[in-house]
Amino acid sequence: MVAPEVYNVSQSPITSHAFNADRTQVAVSLNTNEVQILSRSGLDWTPTETLSEHDKIVTSIDWAPNSNRIVTASQDRNAYVWQQASDPLTGRLVWKPTLVLLRINRAATFVRWSPFEDKFAVASGARAIAICSFDPDNNWWVAKQLKKPIRSTVLSVDWHPNNVLLAAGSADMKARVFSAYIKDVDKRPPPSVWGEKLPFNTVCGEYSSPSGGWVHSVGFSPSGDVLAFASHDSTINVVYPGGPAVYTIRSNSLPYISLTWTSEDAIVAAGHDCQPVLFSGGPSGWQAAGSLDDTTAPKSSVGARGGFTGSSPVGRLNSAAFNTFRNADSRGLGSSHGGGTPLATDTELFTVHQNTITNIRPYDGAPGAVSRVSTSGVDGKLVIWSVNAVSGLGTKLKALRVG
Amino acid sequence: MSNVLRPYLAAVRSTLAAALTLENFPSQVVERHNKPEVEVGGSKEVLLNPLTISRNENERVLIEPSVNSIRVSIKIKQADEIERILCHKFTRFLMQRAESFIVLRRKPIKGYDISFLITNAHTESMLKHKIVDFIIQFMEDVDREISEMKLSLNARARTVAESYLTAFSA
Amino acid sequence: MELGFTSPHLSVKRLFFFRCTSAVGTSSFDTVLWTSSDESMGRLSRRNQNRNTTSVSSSILRQHPLKEVSVYAEARIVQPIDDHEEQRDTFIHSIALLKRNALAAPFELAFGKQKELESSSSGQGDLMAIHYRDEEAIYIQAAHDRVTVIFSTVFREETDRIFGKVFLQEFVDARRLPQIQNAPQVLFTNRDPPLEIRDVPGLRHSDDIGYVTFVLFPRHFANLHVAAGTISHIQLFRDYLHYHIKCSKAYMQSRMRHRVSEFQKVLNRAKTEVASTERKTVTGRTLQTR
Repeated sequence: MVAPEVYNVSQSPITSHAFNADRTQVAVSLNTNEVQILSRSGLDWTPTETLSEHDKIVTSIDWAPNSNRIVTASQDRNAYVWQQASDPLTGRLVWKPTLVLLRINRAATFVRWSPFEDKFAVASGARAIAICSFDPDNNWWVAKQLKKPIRSTVLSVDWHPNNVLLAAGSADMKARVFSAYIKDVDKRPPPSVWGEKLPFNTVCGEYSSPSGGWVHSVGFSPSGDVLAFASHDSTINVVYPGGPAVYTIRSNSLPYISLTWTSEDAIVAAGHDCQPVLFSGGPSGWQAAGSLDDTTAPKSSVGARGGFTGSSPVGRLNSAAFNTFRNADSRGLGSSHGGGTPLATDTELFTVHQNTITNIRPYDGAPGAVSRVSTSGVDGKLVIWSVNAVSGLGTKLKALRVG
Repeated sequence: MSNVLRPYLAAVRSTLAAALTLENFPSQVVERHNKPEVEVGGSKEVLLNPLTISRNENERVLIEPSVNSIRVSIKIKQADEIERILCHKFTRFLMQRAESFIVLRRKPIKGYDISFLITNAHTESMLKHKIVDFIIQFMEDVDREISEMKLSLNARARTVAESYLTAFSA
Repeated sequence: MELGFTSPHLSVKRLFFFRCTSAVGTSSFDTVLWTSSDESMGRLSRRNQNRNTTSVSSSILRQHPLKEVSVYAEARIVQPIDDHEEQRDTFIHSIALLKRNALAAPFELAFGKQKELESSSSGQGDLMAIHYRDEEAIYIQAAHDRVTVIFSTVFREETDRIFGKVFLQEFVDARRLPQIQNAPQVLFTNRDPPLEIRDVPGLRHSDDIGYVTFVLFPRHFANLHVAAGTISHIQLFRDYLHYHIKCSKAYMQSRMRHRVSEFQKVLNRAKTEVASTERKTVTGRTLQTR
């Protein structure tokens, strides 16, 4: 089993992250109004540039791999497109912002470049989605809004591979597929399972989970023929419009708030349970397959890094004692209560992420065959997982476990 | 912890763990604002159904969740006059210090003795399971504290009366 | 817990006053006014013409229409103070006990009355009322086999009332203990006055008034020495009760403060590194995170 790569980027939450094409750089928002560009240096990520234009928290970032442009969205109702250009003074490459007039009067919550990178969609609290395309005549980005029938804040969007259809998940508990066809930018798309003639703002489908719940995340499969969405009732729903079938996978865990397809028959989702979970299936059904995280032992112990099933008892107790004193010093904690449980389990979760995972994105591999995914969360960690390293879900009996 | 108390606290614990799935949610009503939705109550679709967990008529917990905040209100057991006044003093004492307690609300919800307001900002800077631990421990400790104060009051009364009256016999 | 009641604590203060004034030969003041916690006032003044005279007056004396105050037959008379140490000290001491002795008069009357009635085994003496504080009073009545002393006291807060009730219930119950069999019987009621004083005009009927009844039996005033002790002890009751109520309140306060700081510690354990790092501004003020 390959161990996940864990990077402690910050002590504050990572609101959003986006890698560049060759994964040498990553743009992150650390719960502030600034975007930090981190560059890989050895085994770490060091900040190399700070992009500041927004004046409220940056909620979402997307980095277009081919055109190398970054788009950022913020609660200040604005979006900026950043491009690298030579700084006249120093000659170095710096990121230059271009304001996009979204014409929304509430916060922007999510942004994604379209597959051809000529448009991007911005979800907002104004109960609308701004579809932005570049107008070369005037040299600016023009926004057109998808409004009906959205009745609450849009939480997430995902583009169909044909560059025209857009899926959106909203706090009005619905996942919808819209046509975001922009004249003069898009060519008429071929018919698909979602429909034929599709002018702007056509609703090709509207879905919700059985028990209802805010739709936190949506995603088209690599082919575009299947839609998956994660809902606050702790379900993953997979929609086959051609089917027509909607498969609902219920789980006992806390809700998922981000998902990504790794192949036509596999989805990885993550959320309040602090670990990425793999789901697999096909037109005949879907089920949970396992967690990408090994949760048998606290991660701070010396011998238990990623995948090690039976950690040496001595090692575990040693670092538990170490943690006690470290915590006592830094946080003024007294001695732990009871001798049975080591303090490591008291303040630390068994998962790699110590708090909710808010973003999961493909990291390695072509769109239909993703081998690694990256996650970032409220605990300030950035982690890269191998999709093939799946552990069983739930409790496991380990012969070497020390009670 | 008595055997009767255990399932009650376990129920509260699991409900809190599920309800503390908060996220940053900008206001839909006022632009550029970010407010606890459970307090504002403006957008109905982002509020979840309130849940009451009762041990008996006089002891219950109300949990009101929403997308970015939850309110936990506790009604403490007050069997007689003394417990009532001690509870009242104690909760007033706590609420005056709400500022330093961060998750405490300055005024309790009507019908309850004390209320907490936990927002996504708190779950970002604190570990969720520890917040839950704190609330559960609070519930246990408040009950215990009131019992102990009542006992000490009775003990003091006994001593005071005895000393005064023995002087007559001396 | 302070249980000192061998002599009214106020007298010690006054004793000091008097010692001061008599010790100084030439002093610049003429009049000393004092007030005490029970809202009584008094004045001590020296007439300049004759430095050797001192007059004492007190509002206590003015308030009760006393027939006789045995010790102070010459209460309002100017008493020459001579330099004789012993005599002076005794006199100072008795002036200091002014309040206690003034209040003692009705008790002594009642004791006397009870002895009178004892032979006839029936009958009741007059109901005497001492309004020693603004809204509170002591009522004394003699009967053939007992003297009943009723305190009316005001509880200014509800907490006081409830704490008072707990204390007074223990007073009532204490007689079950063998060592307190001989103590006076105690009864109390909360809103309605006890039978004996029901007809007294001007009584307030409200929840914040409490009535405590002490039933003194002849053995409590069998001889002069025991009687004097009983009187001094009974007079203290009201202050004793309220003092302990206040102490209890202060104790609860400190317990709560301790518990609150314990809660604070538990909450701090929940914070991650960021939240627990304090940030200070340049001027030294600390930034608070909400």
